Amino acid sequence: MNTRRGLFHELITNRILFLMLLPTILFFIINSYLPMVGIYYAFTRFDYNTSLFNSEFVGLENFKFLWQSGILTKLTLNTIGYNVAFIGLGNVLAIALAILLSELKSKWFKKLTQSIMFLPYFVSFVILSVIVYNLFNYESGFLNTLLKQLSIEPVDVYNTPWVWVPLIILFYLWKNLGYSMVIYLAAITGISDEYYEAAKIDGANIFQRIWYITVPMLKTTFVVLLLFALGSIMKGQFDLFYQLIGNNGVLYDTTDILDTYVYRSLKVTFDIGMSTAAGLYQSLFGFILIMTVNYIIRKINDEYALF
Amino acid sequence: MKKKSKGLVMLLTVMLLMSMIAACSGNGGGNTAASSSPADSAAATASPDNAQAGEKTGIDTSKKVELQFYMLGDAPKDLATIQDKINEMALQDLNATVKFNYTSWTDWEQKYKLLLGSGQQVDLIFTAEWTQYQSYAKKGAFQPLDKLLPVAAPKLNEFVPQDMWEAVKIDNQIFTVPATYKEYVTNGFVWREDLRKKYNLPEPKDLKTYEEYLAGIKANEPSMRPIALGADVRGSLVNQIRDIEHKAIGALPYGLGVNYFEPGNIYTYWGSDEQKADLELIKRWQQNGYIPKNVLNINDVIQEQLTSGKAATIFGDNPTRFNDSVIKVQAAHPDWELKYYPFPLTTGIATPVHAIHNGFAIPTSSKNAERALAFYEKMVTDQRYNLLTQYGVEGKNYEVKDGYYQMIGDASSNGFAREGMNGWAWRNPEFMLFDKNYDGVKTIFDELDKIQVPDKFNGFAEDYSTYQAERAALEQVEKQYLFPLQAGLVDNIEEGLKTFMDKAKQAGLEKIQAEYMKQWQAYVTEKNIK
Repeated sequence: MNTRRGLFHELITNRILFLMLLPTILFFIINSYLPMVGIYYAFTRFDYNTSLFNSEFVGLENFKFLWQSGILTKLTLNTIGYNVAFIGLGNVLAIALAILLSELKSKWFKKLTQSIMFLPYFVSFVILSVIVYNLFNYESGFLNTLLKQLSIEPVDVYNTPWVWVPLIILFYLWKNLGYSMVIYLAAITGISDEYYEAAKIDGANIFQRIWYITVPMLKTTFVVLLLFALGSIMKGQFDLFYQLIGNNGVLYDTTDILDTYVYRSLKVTFDIGMSTAAGLYQSLFGFILIMTVNYIIRKINDEYALF
Repeated sequence: MKKKSKGLVMLLTVMLLMSMIAACSGNGGGNTAASSSPADSAAATASPDNAQAGEKTGIDTSKKVELQFYMLGDAPKDLATIQDKINEMALQDLNATVKFNYTSWTDWEQKYKLLLGSGQQVDLIFTAEWTQYQSYAKKGAFQPLDKLLPVAAPKLNEFVPQDMWEAVKIDNQIFTVPATYKEYVTNGFVWREDLRKKYNLPEPKDLKTYEEYLAGIKANEPSMRPIALGADVRGSLVNQIRDIEHKAIGALPYGLGVNYFEPGNIYTYWGSDEQKADLELIKRWQQNGYIPKNVLNINDVIQEQLTSGKAATIFGDNPTRFNDSVIKVQAAHPDWELKYYPFPLTTGIATPVHAIHNGFAIPTSSKNAERALAFYEKMVTDQRYNLLTQYGVEGKNYEVKDGYYQMIGDASSNGFAREGMNGWAWRNPEFMLFDKNYDGVKTIFDELDKIQVPDKFNGFAEDYSTYQAERAALEQVEKQYLFPLQAGLVDNIEEGLKTFMDKAKQAGLEKIQAEYMKQWQAYVTEKNIK
């Protein structure tokens, strides 16, 4: 009773503010909530001639192709494994670099380094795949030409699955590090100088200042970015994997993720029901994951949790 | 301060949730209008003999419509001018305008599927066996044309011979308008004749002579790729071997095989001795260096590898594409020479294209089926429409010299090359103009005409609705375990094949094969194919 009156009261008193919020809410309802009806496609047999709700209900039939070949677990693990590496290494390195850069005195050098690190972000994965192919292909790649010059046995990178685990992580970092570093750099700039000055007066050296001021102050940014990243953990980095590995089945054991699997399967058998099913699986998994992590974070420190 | 950040966090939370939901529904959303009712067109066809409305055709043209025309590939530069000229005429003749849309070749398969599946307005769309016409027709993606044809396009109905109408029927209904131009898209060896002469190698006629040629290239031109190959080893290597060596009736899926001369006998190719022998051959080619080690990561277009001098042969290309390569090589490297040997001369299977190889259909989503068909009739049978959309503007894009087509300028300066709109489907043999260069193709066609036999494969319409999930899973297993074998990358073929077969069976291979075989037998009996 009390809350209901409270809500109504709230609506009346802040009606202008709510009115201003309305377009955004409508935007999300139209673009995000209404299309959710389409989830039902995952449980029906798609038919060109009738509407969605008249289509035949088939239960979990559309999900079958995901586990039919028995590699769903492997795919899920690969996807999560790579993403954990991306998120973990990416954030740690980005924080470290951001701190280093922020401590640099030379403005000119700082800007230059920042730009150089940011530039790979604009290189598309298609171009990256060409570069990588020309680096590593067996007959005429840069690496093997070099090895031959030095009279060392050439290596067949494209037929050696394990090499691709570090390679893919490396290329991901190469491309994305500059971007996340800039976010942390911005967060560091936002830390008030007063803290540092006070610490200096208290006799803290540079390492202590970083460890006791900068790092704790970055925690919130880190947690928010982490939770964001976790939500899409099942989505992987489709472009990266698809462009670098493509059709090379030899490498799938270590490099296949859900996205590429779904893409390849449905490229031949395109079916709206099956693709919705795959999307639903990914989203559901991401949802569960983010709820769990958020729960854990809330247990540890209520203030850092998203909700 | 604290409150503020909490509010911000809340906002972020909401945004995050939204984006997740949006992402997950992205696959399924937007299709809600998937199947606008075909009732409109049905109602329109109900009163066919009511012909007073239009003067020239028996359809109602009182309301102006815009037709959405979809073709695969890339649009020519001058498309806008052509479209304006066509629309001028179409507005007068049919009270309709048309918009020519192109999918580009990148990811055309997905785009094609979305065009048919998303319910967006598409009035005319290209069909072929390689765009899965049979399956789409069976699933109801196109409108049946049987009743519509005599009403909306009587001339076209007459123009296409009766046996071709019969040939495109799926479940006894016509869903596409076939092209009447007779051509061959059979495979053949393409090789560098100048290198053959230089090193005194044999002319490729079968696998044995081809292998000798490859060996010669490897020995004398070590930096050249002996065969131009791409990541799709199934399509650019294995299917060719099965074509020339095992006289395959067509490229059957799911590891099945049918010999052209025994269509009733469908057998399993995967795991057979026949396949083992093929894989041994491929492995030998791989070890001898005829196949690049990283073939599965090559993305260059096969024909370009030949015309740029990177590769010495193509293992299986059709006469028309071979001719395109010849023209390109003549322009860039006049001292090179290309030669062609059609597989059918060895196998005896010279099948002209099946009627469904080029066609146009009206998707279920179209609300203007009558007008679309009437317009398509114009494209095929009206010389003004046909020449414009095939060759561009006479005097600007091309001229006719001694009965031959001649492009004005060259491919880079001319905004509309010959058949620039990819108008394979609306070719009309009566109006067709040929480039002088095309005489080479005609010679090959004449040769093939002498040993011509009917296509027995492409009339078959597979219905995979009962094993859809298995089919998707199998494709996966094939890419992962069979492609490396088919690229000659696996040392122990026995073992590799066994792993593949185990995985394939797990994915449901047996179910797929059994169902496909059943459907095939039914097709052979029904159409009385011998």
